[in-house]
Amino acid sequence: MTVCSFYLQGRCRYGDKCWNEHPRGGRGGDYGANHQQPSRGGFGNRVWVNPSQRSGGGYIQPSTFSRDGSDWSKGDVKSSDFSFSHQNRFSALNPQNNNDKGGQTPADDNHNHVDTIQKDMEVWQSSGQWPFSCYSLLSVQISGFVELSPEELRLEYYTGRASGDLQPYVNSVQQLSNQWSSRVQELQTMNGSTQISVISELNNSSPQTSSHGLGSSSGSTSASGFGSTSASGFGSAGFGSSSQSSNTFSFASSKAGFGASDTQQALGFSSTSAAQPPSGFSTAPPSAATFSFAAPAAENTPNTGAFASAAGFSFKSSSSSSSAIRFGSSAAAAAGSAVSGSGDVGDRLFTAHSDLTAEELEQFRAKHFTLGHIPLKPPPADLLMV
Amino acid sequence: MSLFGTTTGFGAGTTGVFGNATTDSHNPMKDVEVTSPPDDSISCLAFSPHTMPGNFLIGGSWANDVRCWEVQDNGQTVPKAQQMHTGPVLDVCWSDDGSKVFTASCDKTAKMWDLNSNQAIQIAQHDGPIRTIHWITAPNYSCAMTGSWDKTLKFWDTRSPNPMMSLQMPERCYCADVVYPMAVVATAERGLIVYQLENQPSEFRRIDSPLKHQHRCVAIFKDKQNKPTGFALGSIEGRVAIHYISPPNPAKDNFTFKCHRSNGTNTATPQDIYAVNAISFHPVHGTLATVGSDGRFSFWDKDARTKLKTSEQLDQPITACCFNNNGNIFAYASSYDWSKGHEYYNPQKKNYIFLRNAAEELKPRNKKW
Repeated sequence: MTVCSFYLQGRCRYGDKCWNEHPRGGRGGDYGANHQQPSRGGFGNRVWVNPSQRSGGGYIQPSTFSRDGSDWSKGDVKSSDFSFSHQNRFSALNPQNNNDKGGQTPADDNHNHVDTIQKDMEVWQSSGQWPFSCYSLLSVQISGFVELSPEELRLEYYTGRASGDLQPYVNSVQQLSNQWSSRVQELQTMNGSTQISVISELNNSSPQTSSHGLGSSSGSTSASGFGSTSASGFGSAGFGSSSQSSNTFSFASSKAGFGASDTQQALGFSSTSAAQPPSGFSTAPPSAATFSFAAPAAENTPNTGAFASAAGFSFKSSSSSSSAIRFGSSAAAAAGSAVSGSGDVGDRLFTAHSDLTAEELEQFRAKHFTLGHIPLKPPPADLLMV
Repeated sequence: MSLFGTTTGFGAGTTGVFGNATTDSHNPMKDVEVTSPPDDSISCLAFSPHTMPGNFLIGGSWANDVRCWEVQDNGQTVPKAQQMHTGPVLDVCWSDDGSKVFTASCDKTAKMWDLNSNQAIQIAQHDGPIRTIHWITAPNYSCAMTGSWDKTLKFWDTRSPNPMMSLQMPERCYCADVVYPMAVVATAERGLIVYQLENQPSEFRRIDSPLKHQHRCVAIFKDKQNKPTGFALGSIEGRVAIHYISPPNPAKDNFTFKCHRSNGTNTATPQDIYAVNAISFHPVHGTLATVGSDGRFSFWDKDARTKLKTSEQLDQPITACCFNNNGNIFAYASSYDWSKGHEYYNPQKKNYIFLRNAAEELKPRNKKW
């Protein structure tokens, strides 16, 4: 629903009968805007309580997300409150925005998350829903849950039945079931140590301690959180838009910071956390690198493939040459810093001259890549010059 | 003599009274029953495409068989043919010309069934059970896309034993949908990947799942220009997310809604939450149907964001659903979906496929604003 602009100015004459929305917060209804945080209503309340403390819309999310630019363009305090309350899904990523919200701090955020988890666990226990499912909060998977579909379980039963021995099936189901109930109970009662581990999982967006070894998938979900917000701005004017470079470019950026969603982030991201993503992403992105070149599998590790693709496109995209060059140099710089930062992957970041075929070497040496002949292996370090 | 509603070791919960032949809770909506339904749970249903005259329904089941019925205009269903796999059949689809049916099974193979000759040949092989199969018709290629629990997505030209292409996924494939040029695959661990199929299938974007729990079913919807523009994703937690690929305003356009839950407004007692087993979009109206483990189906209008109808409760979960090519028939299957484990599995219990007239009930509401 559209927000009532008169209400925001304090002069809606319809009051409760108004057909437009009066943002009071607390509307976590069934058809509410897409929200990952159940505490959305709470945020709305706080925003409304302290309107006078707003100093203007400077910190507000980009106005592209507001649905009616003309109403909010004056940047008056109340409208910025409104647009903020609808951007709550991102607010957890910007905890510093909550500085003057009556004491809201990142610690309070965590407290809300813990509350949410507890409530969700309670619902899960009492509702009779399928127990063998993952659980996540704010696109971070909470560890300790096994993901099994009913079909997989049923197939186990059928094969057990066919072999005549159902006892192993029954035992493993019992075991999984116990595992689940103890984990749910743990999260519901949320004693001190559980709370600490859960909060650290939530804040550490690339968790290494996923119990079923699926750090890659949870890493990639948080990664694509970046990708989906930024990549939507990229060449997606039509679905499957024909310009190959824009598709794969946005895809490279959606891999959480290899190419990076904008150049400024590239340096920071790769230098600080270059060590983490390679290990976390080792399973997910090889597929990505494969696709973006639409060619048989790239044999090298994902981040190198991404650098190659990033570098490749910076050469290719003549339309935005200035940004491309910027990107190319930052990629090179990032590559350099990544190499220094993470020694274990440094040797896979570049290929030696001897490992490249003559054609690939020629491509790297050329001023521009030729479409269809872009090498899949990363360039040798010494050829990385703009 | 088969016994219904036995109380021996299976401890079948609330199966209802089965002795009488009156319309008890197995068909509360009084819909047309398909004759000779499969002997075990129905995992998938598919109607023939518009390129073929008449309506033919294909159903795959956990009894390892795939059956074909002709649905006549007067509502009568005539069993036509059957094929077998060596493992439960998890997904079926039609080729675009309506002459072949593709079936995917837990026996790690997929077969192409030529209905004219009634022969089925194997066209695909995976390292794990194949969960989804879809036929893709592109201007420059045609192939079958199979998604498997071995974490790969493979594309098969039916003439060759080797896949045309194999894509790695982060996790096991749980459900998929294809509307050219878009394909969506939802995997375990809340993975969600969109592929673009133009020229050659390639990964388009990985999406952060809007849902908190396991993905169960996905269906692509189209915009007014008949181009695929987004998808509906259902989870085990009684919730469906409507997600647009490139919306003008993601925070406003994408949303989730709760469904298949008990006690709608009564918050005093804990709600029972059921999984959404399948989602289908009406081919003409663009409204959607969801079926769940609670044994109900519901019709929704995603643009007006309202519910159009919810059915009465059947005594078994509804496991599959689909619309026919012109949207006049809604088929849904009533059988056990394993949502409560093996204790509630009763092999003696009859499985049903019902056909309902869908021409009127799925008309969209007019938007209020």
